[in-house]
Amino acid sequence: MVYQPPVGARDLFPLDVAQKRWIEEHVQQVFHRWGYHRIITSTLERLDTLMAGGAVEPETVIQLLDLEGERLGLRPELTASIARAAVTRMAGVPYPQRLYYNANVFRRAERTSHNRQQEFYQAGVELLGSGGVAADAEILLLLTDCLHSLGLDQCHLILGDAGLTRSLLSAFPSSVQAQVRHAIAHLDRIALEALPLTDDLRERALLLLDLRGQPSDVLQRVSSLDLDPQQRATVNNLKALMDLLQESSDREQRVPSLVLDLSLIQTFDYYTGIVFEVVSSSAGQRVLGQGGRYDQLLGLYHPKGETKPGVGFVLNIDHLHQLLLSSGRLPSRTPPSDWLIVPTTPKAYAAAFAYAQTIRDSAQLVRVEMNLGEQASPEAVRDYARQRQIKQIAWVSETGEATSETL
Amino acid sequence: MITVALPKGGLLADSVRLLQTIGLDFSAFLESSNRQLEIWDTTHSAKALLVRNNDVPVYVEYGQAQLGIVGYDILREKRPQVAHLLDLGFGRCRMSVAVKASSPYRSSLELPPHCRVASKFVNCATEYFKELDLPVEIVPLYGSVELGPITGMSEAIVDLVATGRTLKENNLIEIEQIFESTARLIAHPLSYRLNTGGVQERIAALRGAVTAAVS
Repeated sequence: MVYQPPVGARDLFPLDVAQKRWIEEHVQQVFHRWGYHRIITSTLERLDTLMAGGAVEPETVIQLLDLEGERLGLRPELTASIARAAVTRMAGVPYPQRLYYNANVFRRAERTSHNRQQEFYQAGVELLGSGGVAADAEILLLLTDCLHSLGLDQCHLILGDAGLTRSLLSAFPSSVQAQVRHAIAHLDRIALEALPLTDDLRERALLLLDLRGQPSDVLQRVSSLDLDPQQRATVNNLKALMDLLQESSDREQRVPSLVLDLSLIQTFDYYTGIVFEVVSSSAGQRVLGQGGRYDQLLGLYHPKGETKPGVGFVLNIDHLHQLLLSSGRLPSRTPPSDWLIVPTTPKAYAAAFAYAQTIRDSAQLVRVEMNLGEQASPEAVRDYARQRQIKQIAWVSETGEATSETL
Repeated sequence: MITVALPKGGLLADSVRLLQTIGLDFSAFLESSNRQLEIWDTTHSAKALLVRNNDVPVYVEYGQAQLGIVGYDILREKRPQVAHLLDLGFGRCRMSVAVKASSPYRSSLELPPHCRVASKFVNCATEYFKELDLPVEIVPLYGSVELGPITGMSEAIVDLVATGRTLKENNLIEIEQIFESTARLIAHPLSYRLNTGGVQERIAALRGAVTAAVS
């Protein structure tokens, strides 16, 4: 019998872990510097919880049944869990709340895909209780800071506004609205041109499909549309956000190159304001992270429907890992031990363990490993140490006398 | 710099010709002696990959090519995450249901429930019969689908029909058309959004060339 991992599963060996932790620690330090606190939620959620926001399809969730027959799922993302958890402590907590997470998520691979990954790692933040432009800017600047800490200054940021786009879509007759939205979300111009629309509406749909580019150009093009007061207010907010980011970048806060793209929407989602994706600049561009504003989501989890605004983003650690591998910044080996302690006789172990402990107890981290008698001769011990890149050997006798040797 | 994925086979000549009209020369692919899979345009501003029809959307979906030309039939079958930008008008054919001319069936609904249907387009066939609410067993094949009914393995086939000559020569008749297919211009979504390598300019030029050809 050969035991194999489930299809699409992966084991992380020490070097993989060292590299993954390098990424996570850099990002976490940035989260801490911005005053965010870690939250850990349950890996398992009730399926209802995961799907309440309307952005998760049940067939993409790896599902389980509990003893009572309740349908559970392994979380495909963290925002739903954090929203569920946050509303239980909504009263009496000072806002805004700044939360971050670093967790594994699961997504069922499509049947047509072969051996595709099902477990992923994500690190992200949620800023709860603040609805203004400043909160949006904080999230985007925090994201920029994270990318900078990883040495990824060359990324692109695609930014849209789900609320504005949804509102602009409401001009379409309800019979075709879903199709228009689907075609725009999937950049399907051919489908859009084939829909039964009046010339005016078709023009509007095609305009929405390609409403992207330099932020100032795009804002100008949107402003030329016939907007209602609410839409105009949203456009002004976007403009304020762009100005704030521009001003921050003038003050040496790095901001990635930004494309304003009002066709950046999903077919189903819970976003109500800005939405964004960070894309790597190298060939085979990939989405490294994404996020947005969700001002109604918390209300779905609150028993009385009370809500708080929220905005956040998530970084896809696996994609970052792959991208950074070629950069040479990740550790290329696990750290070697500083010391190898060798008992000179079989009876010297007690003394050797005691000696090793005195070195371990020093203020800085010192990695000390014990020789377990696998090597027959002193020369074999030295060979082993060289192979493992251990610089120092201490030979310890039964009486506790230690002779150091530097290789 | 942009990369375009081009399909081997029937769509290649028209694709190369279309790209020539916007100043990209990949005509080396059309020479019978050509064995290269990757060609640079003479201006070195674009590169083309020569791949199987089915693989065009794969290279585009993964972003190794920013643009691609592929039949709608493949897009419908594989549903890749790519931007569908332009109907290029050439490579016109139809996805059809065909049976042996000697069989009694003259429409899909007359096919007996749980009969076998052979096809290279498993998803298209499955979806079509599901919509008809007719339970059939789809038999996946990789080529010469016409042999399905001829050998008696299947009652019908779902396949692309261009002129209908192959069907006729094999004593098959077309009984339903499922959809019409033409060549399409597709793009990698992120490259499209970010205008990587000036891809928007190329798309606009292609749109102009196709519109000019139609009018």
